Amino acid sequence: MADDKDVLRDVWFGRIPTCFILNQDEVTEREAEPYYLLLPRVSYLTLVTDKVRKHFHKVMRTEDAEEMWFEYEGTPLKWHYPIGVLFDLHASNTVLPWSITVHFKNFPDRDLLHCPSNSVIEAHFMSSIKEADVLKHKSQVVNDMQKKDHKQLWMGLQNDKFDQFWAMNRKLMEYPTEEGGFRCIPFRIYQVTFLFSSCV
Amino acid sequence: MMHEMSMCGLDEKNFYCCCQLLLQQSEQLRDGWSWEAVQGSEEGYLKKTALRSVVIDSSSVWDHEGCGSDSEPHTSCHSQPDQPDEEEEQAAAVASGDTDSIKGDIDDEDEDDGVCAVSEGSSQMLQYEYHILLSCSYSTPVLYFRAFTLEGRSLSLEEVWSSVHPNFRLRLQNSPLNTITLQEHPLLGQPFFMLHPCRTEEFMRPVLQAAQDQHRPVNYVLSWLSVVGPVVGLDVPLQYSTQLHPAPPPSSGKPD
Repeated sequence: MADDKDVLRDVWFGRIPTCFILNQDEVTEREAEPYYLLLPRVSYLTLVTDKVRKHFHKVMRTEDAEEMWFEYEGTPLKWHYPIGVLFDLHASNTVLPWSITVHFKNFPDRDLLHCPSNSVIEAHFMSSIKEADVLKHKSQVVNDMQKKDHKQLWMGLQNDKFDQFWAMNRKLMEYPTEEGGFRCIPFRIYQVTFLFSSCV
Repeated sequence: MMHEMSMCGLDEKNFYCCCQLLLQQSEQLRDGWSWEAVQGSEEGYLKKTALRSVVIDSSSVWDHEGCGSDSEPHTSCHSQPDQPDEEEEQAAAVASGDTDSIKGDIDDEDEDDGVCAVSEGSSQMLQYEYHILLSCSYSTPVLYFRAFTLEGRSLSLEEVWSSVHPNFRLRLQNSPLNTITLQEHPLLGQPFFMLHPCRTEEFMRPVLQAAQDQHRPVNYVLSWLSVVGPVVGLDVPLQYSTQLHPAPPPSSGKPD
């Protein structure tokens, strides 16, 4: 693992320069300037866009601002996909900065999960970790970790702290030679279209 | 139907067989389940829609980040006139393996004859849609569902929480990963509520073990559903299990 540290750091610190533009139909008291941000590939949209929300709230009345959501070229962006995945799926051919439209009304709840707080993001993240560990170590590693270890893993991601994160992630990524290695290597394939499109 | 599967869980083939068996019974009982197949394969899921009359008490919205346990304000009633209470008790007891705390809850209820304090909320007709999928990661079935008002408005997570029977609510609250969350449906890509599957193996193990010890067939999906379904208002009529094995003829008493 020590040899890979450079690679791990490169992956962790990957960024996508993004330009957030307010949806034209939002009710504003004055013109909204676009907001520029470097988004971490490994994180989640709703976790890293507090500043975006605050910026646009300045030009809106509070009563006009509901749950914030994002869209790229007409497609609502799923916050529960890592940012890097969203970019690669939807915008890999675009000229940078990646241009995302910000909305504060008409939340598309047939398409997007609600994200009322950071604890929802945390639950989603931990759920993914658990699922991966079921495949990899039959949940042994994640279940042997204490609650504070899980918390540290999450806080590392939330606060963009590589060392804090990897201190815990190391346990999930180690190769247990006594058992002959990983049971499986979990990976998840994301696709844009789904097998079914259901009529509701 | 006997399962050769080990205590480890359910694979795709067994899941498919269990579902087909459940479907046959559902048809006889007119219970409304259907199979949605992925074209050209055995992969798919069970689906059922149902209308339920539910009281949503918005004043007892649970902050499911964990604070609800010390105060129990109004409890919303789970109006299902045809749901036998014994089924819920059994289901809850099997689910928890910790019968004492469940009995404790139920005993408290007995003082009111099993009726919760009626809350301020009004009764609404809601359309529920239930899906049973296989989680390949956990090798267990998973229950996904969504709910709409008759006007087509989706229910929020808070509203769904407040329609969960109080007996189940506390148990779900205590472990965030065993609870109801909003997730992306693996096949449809749309938001659905989901009951987390990570503890399924834990409560199914004694059921499967007992069945194996008694040389009794068991339908994994059906048994699992009878435990988790009632939590989210999905009734599983007892006739499913009475049909599965009609009484054996009197014999020498040896297991078959």
